[in-house]
Amino acid sequence: MNVLIVEDEKSLATEIAEFLKSENFLCDLAYTGMDASEKIAVNLYDFVLLDLGLPDYEGLDLIREARKMNSEASFIIITARGAVEDKVKGLDLGADDYLAKPFALTELLSRINAVARRKFNVSNPDIILGDFTVQVQSRKLLCKGNEVELTKKEYDLLQYLVLNHNRVLTRQQLYEHIWGNMLDDQYDSNFIDVHIKNLRKKLNNHSPTPWLETVRGVGYRISTEE
Amino acid sequence: MMRLKIKLSLFNLLSKLAFTALFLILMPYIIKRINLRHIDNELIQKREQVLTLISNIGIEPFITSDSADAFGSYNILKEEFVSIEKVNLSEDWNYIEVATRLIEGEEIDYRVLNYSFMIDGQTYLLEVGKSLESILHTEKNIKKVMLLFLVFIISITFLTDTQYNRFLLRPLDKIKNKLKRISDPSLFDQTPVKTTTSDFQRLDSALRELMEHINILFRKEKEITINISHELLTPVSILRSKLENLMLREELDPEIQNKIEESLKTVHRLQSLINSLLMITRIESHQYLREDTFPVKEVLQDIIREIDPVAEDAGVILKQELNDDLMYKEANRSLIFSMFYNVVNNAVKNTPAAGEVKITGNKKPGKFIVMISDTGKGLTEEQKSKLFLRFKMRDKNSGDGTGIGLAIAKTIADFHKIEVVVSSEPGKGTKFSFIFSLNS
Repeated sequence: MNVLIVEDEKSLATEIAEFLKSENFLCDLAYTGMDASEKIAVNLYDFVLLDLGLPDYEGLDLIREARKMNSEASFIIITARGAVEDKVKGLDLGADDYLAKPFALTELLSRINAVARRKFNVSNPDIILGDFTVQVQSRKLLCKGNEVELTKKEYDLLQYLVLNHNRVLTRQQLYEHIWGNMLDDQYDSNFIDVHIKNLRKKLNNHSPTPWLETVRGVGYRISTEE
Repeated sequence: MMRLKIKLSLFNLLSKLAFTALFLILMPYIIKRINLRHIDNELIQKREQVLTLISNIGIEPFITSDSADAFGSYNILKEEFVSIEKVNLSEDWNYIEVATRLIEGEEIDYRVLNYSFMIDGQTYLLEVGKSLESILHTEKNIKKVMLLFLVFIISITFLTDTQYNRFLLRPLDKIKNKLKRISDPSLFDQTPVKTTTSDFQRLDSALRELMEHINILFRKEKEITINISHELLTPVSILRSKLENLMLREELDPEIQNKIEESLKTVHRLQSLINSLLMITRIESHQYLREDTFPVKEVLQDIIREIDPVAEDAGVILKQELNDDLMYKEANRSLIFSMFYNVVNNAVKNTPAAGEVKITGNKKPGKFIVMISDTGKGLTEEQKSKLFLRFKMRDKNSGDGTGIGLAIAKTIADFHKIEVVVSSEPGKGTKFSFIFSLNS
């Protein structure tokens, strides 16, 4: 998929690009609003990651322009302004999602995936983990054909780990994904540990889970054989 | 404290009463003076009439040389009399006095004009009198009329003055109501109050200017908050992305991975601090809307559901006694959620295993009270006084919190005008009461 990253902080833009390239995205960079405007007019993008705080351009105008040109691109707004009005305005203009800086790169990936699923009907294949099958499309977990009952939070945790399989996710990344940015004071590692513990207990009742690893001092990882 | 309108009316009334009293004290004296002068003039006029009569028809019809030495005439009720008699005087008389006369065996007090004149070498004394009783009677009548008039004038002027004051002060009432209605300067009604009084116009325009000024300051603060957040959060964002990308490298040594994770944690703390401060500033500068309506019970149950697994893991019993509910209007649901969440989470964290955290919701006359109590180690007076100060409660042993959660909770409570009362006994536990007023 083609992604245009519109971000005036070069250093941040290249980090995002590096991460998305590792996920097999094709990335284009625009450091100014003018540049972005031209690139959107000329190229076909699936995603535009748009920083609203551009020095030369009112970021939301780019969405208006793109919509006028019947561009199919999905916009994900990334901004450090964090004002509620910006969010509402952006979503009203047809942006598909909104991420407040600083965000986890894995969170960005998860959002892109969700939008892709919703808008482009990209079907995610089922993922096999030992005796378990994660049906990403229907949000279900099966074990030897039987459905395993999970709470919404437990399933979200599992799916986030599955999406980022073979990667260590820190407790904070997991926490942020589940609870969002609202409870900023409560980066309470204990929360994630408790939920993982409960998740493991439930899964182990059906079958062992050697693929769900605790990485000491860092976080959690789901390992799959490539 | 008294309203200006009432003060003015009261003064109006008192000044009129004082004027009336003064008038009542002075009136008898004044009336007496006026009346006497009037009577004396009348007596002099009568004297002139008698003298004119004598010069026309002579003295004889009154006094003949042989019959009598005196002539007297009075009316039936003896209110007036005229008398002429022959006298021997060494000097001319012309004065007015009060004297008693005996008429038909009755002693009556008169005001008497004495006047001597000479005809053909004979001196005569003319007396013209008017009875004091009739004089007093006239005086009484005058008094009565004047009093009636006074009462009439005073009541009329009092009423018109009061009405006029009320009319005059109407713009002031309007300005006052404009101020009373608002809870926030941005809600101030900027339409000018109609008035022809320049003082009120000046007051009104000064207020409007002041409110506009405050609004501009608020707007500026809002902009500054946004700019600072952008300036601070952008570098944090770069740092975070770089560290996360590093962490994703597969060939990492576990020790290095650990170090990167620790750095990420620190970046998180920074991010969390900036966001917390930002949130407080945003609440304080009214950047959050209050337009949700929701049952408080539902929020509390959401929170209990969130925290229960953690409490259970820590061996803390999370109990709820939500006997009553409140349909909360004009509030921000996610802020109210944060407020209770921070306090409940804090309570669970500070309660040892086998302890208990209880959440109650009860209706009391005029208010709704949510109480969150724990059986933790409690607070000393000093800790209690610093409870809601930013960063002051940071306990090195209590994990990852920045110690700002309770400060946020208090800011949210203030924003919603919810009263927070903390009571605590060291060794026994702490109790947070959130008091929602039902009157406003």
